[in-house]
Amino acid sequence: MRRSFSTVVSVALNSFSENVRNKFFAVFAVFAFAAVYASVLAGVMAVDQEARVLTDFGLTLIELIALAYALFNASSVLLREAETKTIYLVFSRPVPRWAYLAGKLAGSLLTSAVMLALMGAMHLLLLRLRGFPPPVDYAWALAGSLLKLSVITSLAFFVSLFSTSAVSTLVISGVIWTAGHFAIETRFLAEHSPGVKGGLLKAAIWLIPNFQLFNVRDSGGTLPLAAFATAALWTVGAGLAALALLWRKEF
Amino acid sequence: MTVPAVSFSGVGKVYKRPRLLGAQFTTGIRDLSFELQPGEITGLLGLNGAGKTTIMKLITGLLFPTSGKVSVFGYAPSRTEAKARVGYLPELPYFPPQLRPVEALAYYGRLSGLSGATLSSAVGAAMSRTGLEPHAGKRVSEFSKGMLQRLGLAQALLHGPDLLLLDEPVSGLDPLAIHDIRGLLAGLNGEGRAIFLSSHSISEVEKLCSRVLIMVRGSLARTVLRAEWEAAPGGLEGIFVEAVK
Repeated sequence: MRRSFSTVVSVALNSFSENVRNKFFAVFAVFAFAAVYASVLAGVMAVDQEARVLTDFGLTLIELIALAYALFNASSVLLREAETKTIYLVFSRPVPRWAYLAGKLAGSLLTSAVMLALMGAMHLLLLRLRGFPPPVDYAWALAGSLLKLSVITSLAFFVSLFSTSAVSTLVISGVIWTAGHFAIETRFLAEHSPGVKGGLLKAAIWLIPNFQLFNVRDSGGTLPLAAFATAALWTVGAGLAALALLWRKEF
Repeated sequence: MTVPAVSFSGVGKVYKRPRLLGAQFTTGIRDLSFELQPGEITGLLGLNGAGKTTIMKLITGLLFPTSGKVSVFGYAPSRTEAKARVGYLPELPYFPPQLRPVEALAYYGRLSGLSGATLSSAVGAAMSRTGLEPHAGKRVSEFSKGMLQRLGLAQALLHGPDLLLLDEPVSGLDPLAIHDIRGLLAGLNGEGRAIFLSSHSISEVEKLCSRVLIMVRGSLARTVLRAEWEAAPGGLEGIFVEAVK
């Protein structure tokens, strides 16, 4: 067990190192800094609501950019390792498949966390330069974004193991992400729709995670314990589903 | 009685390619039985699509047999006990271009369960043995094809495996690199390690191996011992051409 844990750590650190050395990470970083900086313009245009707009717009951009990178990375990482045959050198060794998958997932989440932290630091610096104090719930907002990324990354890993290309994984994961932000509306529609339509919507409520749970603004400034528990359940659940596909996958 | 390094018993492999409606099935190998003994160098010859890589992947657990049984030192290929004793060099191995050879080897060494001083010494030994030491400061992106192949061999040797599986180990290499790799393989065999290598180069197989398996369209067409091809007028090439025709 200790050896398997050490394998998870090795794969995670290698995955993180490869991610940050990848040219796409640099491209995303440049784009992220430019986009976060652009939130200053939106803030200035808001006149007396500048602090709020600068905070909200910046946090939204940070989350969307981190999402785009996380999805791009999660949808291509397993496919890339299979195409380059790197996976041959891993699975021909005594590496349990669950340890490899857990390591890859941990490496992706570590990259997302670093990305969020860097963009968050830049955003706070911009707020300070404009003369505003850091919002009290800022760290919670970033934690909420990380929980969302944890769930969607795990789901994207699962989807990538049965979809035919990275693009289809991106599309399916993108649809899940969007639908997950309308969970309350879906529940309302399910309760008021009769027949098959209502049944389908009720199924969707169970099959798609409720990302609204992780929005700090909707939760009164902090994240409830339920949000962490839900994120953990979805991440582990999607990870186990991915493992079921990887277990007998041939390369 | 010695446990064979590899044993195939009535093994078949059928590939299933999903289609929009149903699936397409292709036979990789059929009803294949053979054994490799510890300390033996065995060659695997065959035309493209004969099933050479399928056999290698079945031994490493990258593929699962559709029928029959594969065992490696008495264990199923997916078992840790089997994998810990096998070193695998795939055809045209890939390493992240930004890495230095020591970094790549340290990663694969850790995956093989090495750590601390044992890992450092195994990496150093593999670098020295494959002639990579003078290139330790370079990144993989600066490596030639021959150096990449040496790095591929180094990662296969790291954990001191009892069986080396080499898929086209001299493919595309210059004569000097081929000479060096041949010397290295002979040395490894001298230490008692079994080597199973697939190749399109009949002359290389002829120089290194004591026994050769010839695959034709997924079936074992012939098993040839060194004494047989040395006595044959056309050598191993003549036997191979006759078998695949």
